[in-house]
Amino acid sequence: MEKGGIAMENTTEDIVLDIRGQICPACLLITLSELNSNRERLTEASARLVIKTDHRDATRTIPGAALAMGYGVAVTQKERYYEITLEHKK
Amino acid sequence: MYRSDFCMAGAFRDIFLFRDYLRLRALLLLVALLAFSIYLMRFFQVISTYPPSFFGMPSAASLVGGVLFGAGMVLGGGCLTTTLYRLGGGSMVSVITFCGVLFGGLASAALYPYIYSFAGSTVLFSNKTALEHIIGGAADPVLAAFLLMIFLAWGWKGKRTRSQTGYARGYLAPWKASFMMAFVITALLALSGRPLAVNMGFEKLSGILSATLLPSVGEKIPYFHLYSPRLLYGGIMDGGAGPAIDSIAISQLPLMAGIAGGSFISSLRLGEFRIKRLPPARQAFSAFTGGMLMAVGAFMAGGCNLWHIIGGLPVLALQSIVFVFGVAGGSYLGTAFLKKQVLEGWRKGGLQWKTRLKTSSST
Repeated sequence: MEKGGIAMENTTEDIVLDIRGQICPACLLITLSELNSNRERLTEASARLVIKTDHRDATRTIPGAALAMGYGVAVTQKERYYEITLEHKK
Repeated sequence: MYRSDFCMAGAFRDIFLFRDYLRLRALLLLVALLAFSIYLMRFFQVISTYPPSFFGMPSAASLVGGVLFGAGMVLGGGCLTTTLYRLGGGSMVSVITFCGVLFGGLASAALYPYIYSFAGSTVLFSNKTALEHIIGGAADPVLAAFLLMIFLAWGWKGKRTRSQTGYARGYLAPWKASFMMAFVITALLALSGRPLAVNMGFEKLSGILSATLLPSVGEKIPYFHLYSPRLLYGGIMDGGAGPAIDSIAISQLPLMAGIAGGSFISSLRLGEFRIKRLPPARQAFSAFTGGMLMAVGAFMAGGCNLWHIIGGLPVLALQSIVFVFGVAGGSYLGTAFLKKQVLEGWRKGGLQWKTRLKTSSST
């Protein structure tokens, strides 16, 4: 970002939550707990929550709950697991 | 089932934990479709005996069994069927639950005389096995219409209840799975003349394991030497939990292998299969305990959720109705306990958990 001729950096911290091996409802409960404890940083867009899960149903329940809470969601399939990124809606 | 993650434990648990009715709605649709199809089979005389003779008289054991089963399936992360298809996908939690079910099967078999006596002495309706015996007319079309009305009413309630996007590759909406399962289950019922179940298959595995690994223990348990006649494929064949090749060996064991094998193929095709990590100790303990409770619950109630909810509820078997009330209560108790277990484990954060939560900066 340019402001008064000085380059400003936007730093976003990735909070990585590796819950591979866990199944429902633990995946959603833990994610909700982390969303709540990091709410301020996520709302300020200074951090985003990156969840690694190999439980298929978590790709339905976590995005569903996060969208209802007003977060932006992106899901990508990695090598035998899914990565769900939750961040402040731009 | 694998692609939609169709889960009866989730159907009950999610309403208590998240006020999420999506899965319950899909389950109601499945039961409604089966009630319709069974009524049609009865009308066109594809089914000869009605109400079916497979279901026993309801007793307090059906209710207590339902409570144990409901709590067990929530703690175990899924019912017996869910355990099988997740096992096929490489879930270690399901391996632990599976072991719990086998251990519970052994314990139930040892307690058989007491459970049998308890069920026999607490019969709720003597000589009545289906609602039809009480009200005197076919009630299954009414049940189907009622459940469909609930299904549609929840559809109007809101988008979150109606449908949710599943981002997993090859995701199948639960209501679509309900239609597919209703078709397959109806075909199997017409073919075999018997509702689906897997609980006796698990008990048989317990019997085979005890006969193989602990023969001195297995020989002393009378239940593993007990075989009773069962209606299957239009004939009568003996079946029991012992290691013999009988009606259970040719019906429930292949079904169990088919569910696990089908999800294994599905997970391979979707590029998802791998032997997954072990869960944290608290969740592993819950899964094993849940498996044990499911085995004992199904033993007491005379069948698992597949038998009672998919097989008995559509024909309004009294034993199944009582079992469902028990399952709802047990799921509530199991959910409260599991939530505490998971969140306390997370907050206390063992070393394993803390190292998994890390931060990094990106620009």
